[in-house]
Amino acid sequence: MQDVLLQLQKEALDVFLKVQTPEELEAARVEYLGRKGRLAEAMKDLAALDVDARRDAGKIANDVKRTVEASFAATEARIVESAAEDRQAQEWLDVSLPGVVPAVGHLHLTTQAIDEISDIFAHIGFVRSRHPEVDWDYYAFESLNMPKEHPARDEWETFFAEDEGEIALGEKGKIVLTPHTSNGQVREMEKGVLPIRMINIGKCYRRQASARHLPMFHQFEGLMVDTNVSVTELKGVFDYFVKRYFGANRETRLRPYHFRFTEPSFELDISCAVCDGTGKVDGVKCKLCKGGWLELGGAGMVHPNVLKAGGLDPDVYTGFAFGWGVERTMMMRSGINIDDIRTLYKNDLRFLSQF
Amino acid sequence: MNILASYNWLKEHVHTRLSAEDFAKEFSLRSMSVESIDRLDQRFENIVVGVVKSVVPHPNADRLRIAMVDIGEKEVPVVCGGTNLAENMRVVVALPGSKVRWHGGADWTELKKTEIRGVESIGMICAPSEIGFDKIACGDHEIWDLTALVDAPAGASFAAALDCADTLFDIEITTNRPDAMGIIGLAREAAVAVNGEFVPATTLPLPRGSKEGVLRVRLEDSRCERYMAAVVEGVTVGESPWWLQKRLLLAGLKPINTIVDIANYVALELGQPMHAFDAESIAENTIIVRPGVKGEKLTLLDGKVVELNELMIVIADAEKPLAIAGIMGGKDSGTTEKTTTVIFEAAMFNALTIRRTSRAIDVASDSQLLYEKGLSPEALPTALARAVELATQIAGGALVDVVDVYPKPREPKVFAFDPEQVRSRIGVDIGDDVQKDILTKLGFDIAEKKGKYAVTVPYWREDDIEGSVDFTEEVARMYGYHNMPAVLPASRPPTAFDDATLDWSSWTKRFLAGAGFSEFFSNSMVSVADLEMYGVSPKDALALYNPLSNDLTHMRPTLIPSVLRAVERNQALTSAAKVFELARVYCSKEGNIPEERMMMVFGEYGVIDAEATFMRLRGTLEQFGAKTGITFTFDRLTDNDHWHNGRTVGITIDGVHVGVLGQVASDFQSSFGIHRSVFLAEVNLEALFPMMRHSHHYQAVPAFPVVTRDIAVLLDEHTEYEKICGVVRGAKTLVTDCRVVETYRGEGIPAGKKSVTIGVTLMAPDRTLTSQEVDDVMTTVIRELALRVDGVLRD
Repeated sequence: MQDVLLQLQKEALDVFLKVQTPEELEAARVEYLGRKGRLAEAMKDLAALDVDARRDAGKIANDVKRTVEASFAATEARIVESAAEDRQAQEWLDVSLPGVVPAVGHLHLTTQAIDEISDIFAHIGFVRSRHPEVDWDYYAFESLNMPKEHPARDEWETFFAEDEGEIALGEKGKIVLTPHTSNGQVREMEKGVLPIRMINIGKCYRRQASARHLPMFHQFEGLMVDTNVSVTELKGVFDYFVKRYFGANRETRLRPYHFRFTEPSFELDISCAVCDGTGKVDGVKCKLCKGGWLELGGAGMVHPNVLKAGGLDPDVYTGFAFGWGVERTMMMRSGINIDDIRTLYKNDLRFLSQF
Repeated sequence: MNILASYNWLKEHVHTRLSAEDFAKEFSLRSMSVESIDRLDQRFENIVVGVVKSVVPHPNADRLRIAMVDIGEKEVPVVCGGTNLAENMRVVVALPGSKVRWHGGADWTELKKTEIRGVESIGMICAPSEIGFDKIACGDHEIWDLTALVDAPAGASFAAALDCADTLFDIEITTNRPDAMGIIGLAREAAVAVNGEFVPATTLPLPRGSKEGVLRVRLEDSRCERYMAAVVEGVTVGESPWWLQKRLLLAGLKPINTIVDIANYVALELGQPMHAFDAESIAENTIIVRPGVKGEKLTLLDGKVVELNELMIVIADAEKPLAIAGIMGGKDSGTTEKTTTVIFEAAMFNALTIRRTSRAIDVASDSQLLYEKGLSPEALPTALARAVELATQIAGGALVDVVDVYPKPREPKVFAFDPEQVRSRIGVDIGDDVQKDILTKLGFDIAEKKGKYAVTVPYWREDDIEGSVDFTEEVARMYGYHNMPAVLPASRPPTAFDDATLDWSSWTKRFLAGAGFSEFFSNSMVSVADLEMYGVSPKDALALYNPLSNDLTHMRPTLIPSVLRAVERNQALTSAAKVFELARVYCSKEGNIPEERMMMVFGEYGVIDAEATFMRLRGTLEQFGAKTGITFTFDRLTDNDHWHNGRTVGITIDGVHVGVLGQVASDFQSSFGIHRSVFLAEVNLEALFPMMRHSHHYQAVPAFPVVTRDIAVLLDEHTEYEKICGVVRGAKTLVTDCRVVETYRGEGIPAGKKSVTIGVTLMAPDRTLTSQEVDDVMTTVIRELALRVDGVLRD
């Protein structure tokens, strides 16, 4: 009996070893391990033995069953694995195929820049205001400490609205396309809600057209008015913006300048990323900047006459204001090197869909 | 305005040992921006004075000759085309390694030892422009003859021999500081900015003339605040000495003759424009300052003939106009080499008059630039004295008469000065003494009375300093903005919120981009053609008085022409696309600034399937409405020429018109040169803003299963979806939704008919529907369709 069992085990193991397909495996399972399989048949024969012989043979029979079952399990695992391998070999993908880009739309670079700039200033409590883009020259100039005929007005090459062949006139003077967003300063003060921390981003217009200057462009104007606003806070705000927008490693500096509507006035510079603020690249003068610095825009403490025009007492309130070009700021960071700024507004989808 | 300032000249008036680079840096940080530094000592490296020893013809070129030039240690051959080349001439020799500009071009190139037509040439004999002296008069194809200019030995460095080992700063002078357009003014700034001692000019006051009364001056125009003139007799007018010429040249001016050069030199030194007349050209020894008279004409120094009028101030004699005050002199009254008696003019004219005159006659000059910025009549005596001093030194003249007409002398400006106010505006604790020291060094005079300061403004800052507030800047900049800390505002934040219309505009742009539309960004300025091509009368748009070009004459009252233009430009390169633009349009208002209305246009061009496109655009707007709490109503539009009347709807909210969605009328499509259909939605966002809110509607997810049944129904072509679904929805309350799955026209469908597959959704809120219930509902639906819209069920 014992020999029969061991012979059966050997036979079964040999068969399982040779099994290649799930069908063969199933046939082998039925033959050896099935309810009417050979092992079950052999077990039946045990009943015929006497008690002692049955105990010994029963033990062997159980061992044989476990061994054969284990062999079956191992074989099954082998077969499943090899079947999976075959399937993967058949289900091969050309993974070098190009990606199919989802049909998303593209926001214009300028929109992206405006959103980003607004967000940065929002973090330090500046709220966005909306002011006219076509306005009275009173708001564009006069209220900004530039009386009629002041030569400083020449610095802004201003478009005027026309009315029957003449410059259009109305209750507050001439109608101009705002040459800067600073027209929002006095308008914001006139709302009479203090303190002010405003960002005004809008379209500006100047009589200029070149690879570097557009007749229509955007500025963002910052205005903060409260009691005890100082130059150091303007520096703080400027520094915060530059580090958030351009990178934490960029340095800033203020340089004296002159604007009629601020006193004192400065220009704001940021360190050049190309030469790392040294002014030199490989010992040669940096082509992008002046001595390691790039000019970002103008700023200053709001002139008392401007506060007065806005209905505020300059002995009580002080403030600062800054106004920079959105396109210029964006180009200075982006590194996209658009050599002709006019490309921005040509509406070529091949350009627009890159961003 | 910019000044080219010589560092050597500056250093005569401010003691400093800073390198040019350090000087420029410190000066920029505290005063005015040094935009570039030109190191002449480097520029003239390897350029020497040579003496021509012999000249022989070039064997292979008619126009070239070979000069043997003594350059000190040896004689070298130089091939040269200079027509004035002669033996024993002292010339400028640029040796190999030096930088020159070929024929005065823009680029500097390094010279190398070379062969010219087979003959060796060591360097180059230069014309002035070839080493950067563009303003030195020199004939065509002539070289610079130094023989009379210097007697330096052969081989001497050019820079040393001509005293040009200098550095030039190109400095941007802000418009409020014409005083810094003179070397003295710059040096005064520099003394504080770089902490060096200021050395003022040493010109003595004007002496009295020896023959008073020779010249009469009549001031007949109040726009001339002061007129001074000095008569100098016995001058010899010729070429100025090199030191004077050099200073003019380095500043970018052209030497003319001794007298003109002196006038220009004084302007450079002191920032006060000067003029000089030949006394002989002045009738009756009388100068009249008066308004121009209509009909008068004057030929200016530059040859331009100008018609005069009362707008301008004219310097005239008893018979004729001599000069346009402050702008330019006349051709016939200027000094020449024949001049023996000269009249120097130093005057103060109204800035605005000069500005308007210059614009009106389109004549600009250095003098006009300075006058426009606002000068002081108090500057005149010094300037005139300096001119007379130089004339006697250089031209050998003698002062005979001085006239000074100054009807209303100015009082100096005095303002209160509060160091505490300065501290609080800057936010830095700068001591009183430091502040006073800065102001004093800049020329302000500080008087203290009972602990309060009164500051007298020096005449050269009269126009710039307008009140106490201006002292802050003087202190702050000289203390150095770069020395101040950067502090984030710690004060209370504003109570105002972001402007909601801007927030919603940004949100809408992101929504459209998310829905697959790409953003156009067009110029708000459009042309008459743009407007007319879209059937908009230019009269309805805001016109520009001074447009930049014919393409940009009006402010757009609608975005559509810009979008159509962009579509036309793109169609050949990107055949179809989903696009949008969101911007303010400008709607003119009589006698007022225009209404600025935020408009949104989105759509598709290159359309093939009109129905699908229409549905997509409508769906986009519906989704937009769902997100912003707005319910749009769409009604067929059949009476608008701008739109295709079979494929367009008007958009309303509660009966108020807010836009249009549909196909652009083919006339306007073709007028813009667009080949394939364009579908657009134009929506007045401005009208939507007050209603917009972030809408989040919650509806419980159904607890019981929904059942969907599709039926195909044959319908008349013009039976609208809304009608069909209205019927289905109204059939039974268990019907919760109805939509068109497919519309089929073609084989098996009679003309004028369409087969619509309708998906009907059924649901009960409290139970699972039995199939019998569903069948019953569908029977009703089919019956209703037959009854109300003549729908015939297809098998």
